[in-house]
Amino acid sequence: MEVEVFSTEFWQAFAPEAILIVGLLLIFIIPNLGNSKFRIPLTKVQVPWFLGGRRFSITGSPAIPGMLATATLFTALGMMAIESVDGNMDTTTVTSNGLVILQLDNFSRFFEILFLAAVLLASMASLDRIPAHTFSGKKSLDELYDNRRQADFYILMLTTAVGMCTVALAQDLFVLFVGLELASLATYVLVGFHKESKAGAESGVKYFIVGSVASGIGLYGLSLLYLEFGSLQLATIAANWSDSTLLGTIALGLVLVGFGFKVSAAPFHFAAPDAYAGANSPVAGVLATASKAMGMIGLIRVLLVIALPEGGTDESAIWLYTIATLSVITMTWGNVAALGSTNPKRMLAYSSVAHAGYMLAALTAVGAWKWGEIEAPGDYAEAIVAAVLFHLFVLVAFKLGAFLVLGLLEMEGEVSRLSALSGLARRDPLIGTAMFIFMLALAGVPPLAGFMSKFLVIAGIVSTSIGELWMNGTVSFSDLHWVWWLALAMFINSAISVFYYLRIGVVMFLDIPEESRRKPLPYGASIRMAIWICLVATILLGLSGDTLIDMCYRAADSLNLA
Amino acid sequence: MSGSEIIDYAVLIPLLPFLAFPVILFLGRLFNGTPTWVKNVKEGGIIALVAMGASLILALSLIREHMNKVGAANVFTWFESSWWNPETGSITTKVFGFGVYIDHLTVMLLFVAAFLCFLINIFSIGYMNTDSINDNRNHRFYAEFVLFCSGMLGMVLADSFLWLFIFWELMGLCSYLLIGFYYERPSAAYAAKKAFLTTRVGDVFLVIGLVMLWNLFDGTLDYDVLFKAENIAAVDSGELQLALGMMFIGAVGKSAQFPLHVWLPDAMEGPTPVSALIHAATMVNAGLYLVARMFPFFSAAEMGALSTLAIAIAIIGGITAVMAALIAFVQMDLKKVLAYSTMSQLAYIFTGLGSALWLANNGYDDLAAFAMGASLFHLFNHAMAKGMLFMASGSVIHEMHHAHHEVAHHGHDDHHDDHHDDHFDAQSMENMGGLASRMPITATAMFVGSMSIIGIPLIGGFWSKEGIIASAWKVALKEPIFLLPAMLVLIGAGMTGFYMSRMWFMTFAGKPKTEVAEHVHEQTPWIPIPLVVLTFMTLGAIIFAGMHAGHWLGDFESGHYTSFVDGIGYEMEHVFLNHDPFLMILTYVAIGLSLVLGPSFAMALYGGSLDGNQKAKPWMQWAINLSAKLNKKSNFDNSAWANSSLANSLHKRLHFDDVYDAAMMKIVVGFAKLSAIFDTRVIDGVIKAIESTSQEASRRLRALTTGSARDYIMMTALGTLVIFMLLWGVA
Repeated sequence: MEVEVFSTEFWQAFAPEAILIVGLLLIFIIPNLGNSKFRIPLTKVQVPWFLGGRRFSITGSPAIPGMLATATLFTALGMMAIESVDGNMDTTTVTSNGLVILQLDNFSRFFEILFLAAVLLASMASLDRIPAHTFSGKKSLDELYDNRRQADFYILMLTTAVGMCTVALAQDLFVLFVGLELASLATYVLVGFHKESKAGAESGVKYFIVGSVASGIGLYGLSLLYLEFGSLQLATIAANWSDSTLLGTIALGLVLVGFGFKVSAAPFHFAAPDAYAGANSPVAGVLATASKAMGMIGLIRVLLVIALPEGGTDESAIWLYTIATLSVITMTWGNVAALGSTNPKRMLAYSSVAHAGYMLAALTAVGAWKWGEIEAPGDYAEAIVAAVLFHLFVLVAFKLGAFLVLGLLEMEGEVSRLSALSGLARRDPLIGTAMFIFMLALAGVPPLAGFMSKFLVIAGIVSTSIGELWMNGTVSFSDLHWVWWLALAMFINSAISVFYYLRIGVVMFLDIPEESRRKPLPYGASIRMAIWICLVATILLGLSGDTLIDMCYRAADSLNLA
Repeated sequence: MSGSEIIDYAVLIPLLPFLAFPVILFLGRLFNGTPTWVKNVKEGGIIALVAMGASLILALSLIREHMNKVGAANVFTWFESSWWNPETGSITTKVFGFGVYIDHLTVMLLFVAAFLCFLINIFSIGYMNTDSINDNRNHRFYAEFVLFCSGMLGMVLADSFLWLFIFWELMGLCSYLLIGFYYERPSAAYAAKKAFLTTRVGDVFLVIGLVMLWNLFDGTLDYDVLFKAENIAAVDSGELQLALGMMFIGAVGKSAQFPLHVWLPDAMEGPTPVSALIHAATMVNAGLYLVARMFPFFSAAEMGALSTLAIAIAIIGGITAVMAALIAFVQMDLKKVLAYSTMSQLAYIFTGLGSALWLANNGYDDLAAFAMGASLFHLFNHAMAKGMLFMASGSVIHEMHHAHHEVAHHGHDDHHDDHHDDHFDAQSMENMGGLASRMPITATAMFVGSMSIIGIPLIGGFWSKEGIIASAWKVALKEPIFLLPAMLVLIGAGMTGFYMSRMWFMTFAGKPKTEVAEHVHEQTPWIPIPLVVLTFMTLGAIIFAGMHAGHWLGDFESGHYTSFVDGIGYEMEHVFLNHDPFLMILTYVAIGLSLVLGPSFAMALYGGSLDGNQKAKPWMQWAINLSAKLNKKSNFDNSAWANSSLANSLHKRLHFDDVYDAAMMKIVVGFAKLSAIFDTRVIDGVIKAIESTSQEASRRLRALTTGSARDYIMMTALGTLVIFMLLWGVA
């Protein structure tokens, strides 16, 4: 179905996104409602104007923005989930002046659900992590600061969500870029949100600078693409890709840098550990999950939709070795760097670099399948893409969950050393166990969701590398396609990673808590609830992820790879 | 396989207790210091009870539906994986998931496990929650308790040897935790370690056996593939025998048979409900279950090819039956007598299974079914009686403790003697005596339970034990080497009569031997419930016998009679007036030994009348009177026996522990030291080297993250160059 922008059908199809924007506007308006009056010039007639003046005490409560943002995200997510969990979505394209701008299908809806779930969990956690001080009586300066910036924080959160949704929907690289920047700029500010802390401010600025450079390079690549093809429409470029000249190759390289930064692939990942360490944990969690997924959308669009190798021609498989090399470097770098990292947030950041490497390996396998070296049915490629999507989704459960646990610890003081976690299992067995399960899931221990995602990715790569060779009878080792080595690299890397994930467990269960952390953990109802949701999802998606895997397959299917 | 209908709620039976485990563990600590009625909930007893009750109800419903059919179903699929098999060129699909396999064996053990776990749970609420020593750790007890039950229920239901092994190990872990429940006592910690390590020896062999089986059957351990006659006929029977033999060693460890029996008596260090759990409902039955599961292999394999293993099983059983009974002669600790009696009775079942397997392997299908049925029926009877006996002994010990507290506080009020616990052994039968009138319910339960174990005609274990002895002799007539176990079990019957009677009369008859025993009375709530239920269950075994429970258990295919009156007549005739004169004589010899010889000796040695003013319930009073008469008339001088070297070595458990300890010290510890050197020098060296290298690499990599944005941009530029070079290389 094609709809014009802002037509009735448009609003019907995009109701959840519209709710996000309405929520965003409400956070602007509601805290500012007051008894101000507007005097019509030259008369004495005063018309109530309601914006500014003395704020109403109910709407002016500092807790309002957080509640509003959470409720908005929850509503929008609920609508999307109900729509798409058990059924095939109709594809809705939005056109304007003959150009396809947005497209709503299984793929984009899947990612929107992922983004909103991540941001919702983070915003639930932030209700406690960045608390609004609603009690009456004298407040300290810090508390007043906190109250003042409640609205700012949640506006930025919702902006991030809107930007990410735009990326998921975009069918035009320009629109995609706008969405990407909308989300990125909001996250730059969110990273440096605690500007009074040195680490926060510094990391925010650093993240911004490096991010800007990467975006600039990416944008340059986009402009070259426009030069080459005269359009930034995905469909147009994809159709003409096989005729592209060297300019197209250069453009592709530059665009890869831009998205490479977003998924924090080595060597563009440097700002990520700093940013995660400086940001407060829920925000870092969003960066590690939703922001990475956003970058993955870009890569999937560029590599698999536009530059997917045409069967048999060497020419078109131009990015295959590049991405393969990047993937091995990325996963190894991430895991090795994480080995010695003593800051839990940096450790998780490096682990998320490693996870980016796994996903790049999967993308390579898809490319290799289409290159023509491998004769395999089309559903192999679809299976791998579905595995990547599954991986991205379950990361929201356990990686974000791990960050939320750190967020809970941050409520009683900075978490920059491993020792902040010591004795956690003794102080609060439930939270300690939850954290341990998140770590096991990250390490890929069955039967948790992390095992399933790694299993699907590795199985996908291996079966692609075997392809249809088995039809011939015996397969010798030398016949296997080289992407097989990527699966091996992934396997070895997974083994390395177990060390640093389990170290967290050792620290939590065996060490004695620090002097300053002997009291019971702060309570925080909504952050704990967010952690429980993550925990339940981690276990359930591992045990029976059929519904989600079906969703992933439908999403992969709507990319029309085969 | 007839039918593979979906029984998806079956997975809930082990799952509910499994889920209750974390709930109890975590909730338990939340309510410290609340009033008693909250405490029951707090400590998890009620939560456990609800979970176990739900499991029991589901199990009963499952049993009702699948009483008479064999069924297998995959109830939960985790994921499926297909791969291409290079040898056959076909695609193999392996389903990773949990399935249930239900036949008569499953149904019986499921009932035993679910029913007894539930009753023991009731008992625990009375036993554990009224003891101050358990304060603030009862949640641990209940958490481990439900996990244990979940292990047993899962093992019984599982549809493959792989899942059986997983649950088997789960039970191993829980037994370790529960035996060492009072971990501050060195003896408990030692016992836990001993149980864990001894069963581990068996488990290693079990794993080897399973791997061999896996190889023999082309990479699967699912029952419905393994039990197909054509698959079994296709494999090499020599290798099959070796694999099954290895698995049998695992069963020997788990069911505490000679020579891996040493852990069981020490396991009495755990709280009494745990003893009941291990000895009746779960752990030891697991080994029997494993051997019983091997039945299809024996009946389908090449004729006579697996006889050696069947004979070995029976001989191990026979030896253990007599040895354990001998050691039980001299035990003074109430629970230890029961522990040895468990070993001895399990040995009977092993002998019965051995006979059944031999018969099955040599083509005597009807006789094999009979022997199998008798063995499994004995498992059932023993579980019910032993569960009851342990709970009754727990009741005695608990009340002894309470009475001791009363007495101690009464006597030593002035100088607070806090150490009285150390001097008084509430489990020793030397401190008891004359409790029959003071604890009527417990005494009755013990009375009935002991009769069932002894095999007093018409009560519980009688029906099955006669069957086992008869089966063993039937085999012995065909295979001379079987005379050894057959003889041993026959002698064992008389010995059982002696030591069980000895235990009962020492505890309940005669005059109280200490002041404490005079003050004992039944007062703890919850405890009598399971005792009464199980008393009727044991007495009611005659009904099961009448319904041909043995035949039903033994023959997986045919149905069962339900007319009780006809059935009991048939059974009685079969037992007492057998048309085969040899079997009839055998029966009367066995009855004579177990009913007359054993108990009369015990009465003569240990009997005695109660205090003048005390009177037991009429159904026990006659036995006490009889024992008093026998005791007076006989005037045995016990000291010659007590000082004999046999009694001495029996006290030392026939030196098994000493020999094992010595062997441990000399061989195992020496080898361990050697391994330790290898471990620290070579393995640790390699690992340390890997570790320091990787840490160094990590340090260098992280050193690139300088913290300066300029450097990061540099690296971005570098990365861009790399990308171009790679793209260029291809283009």
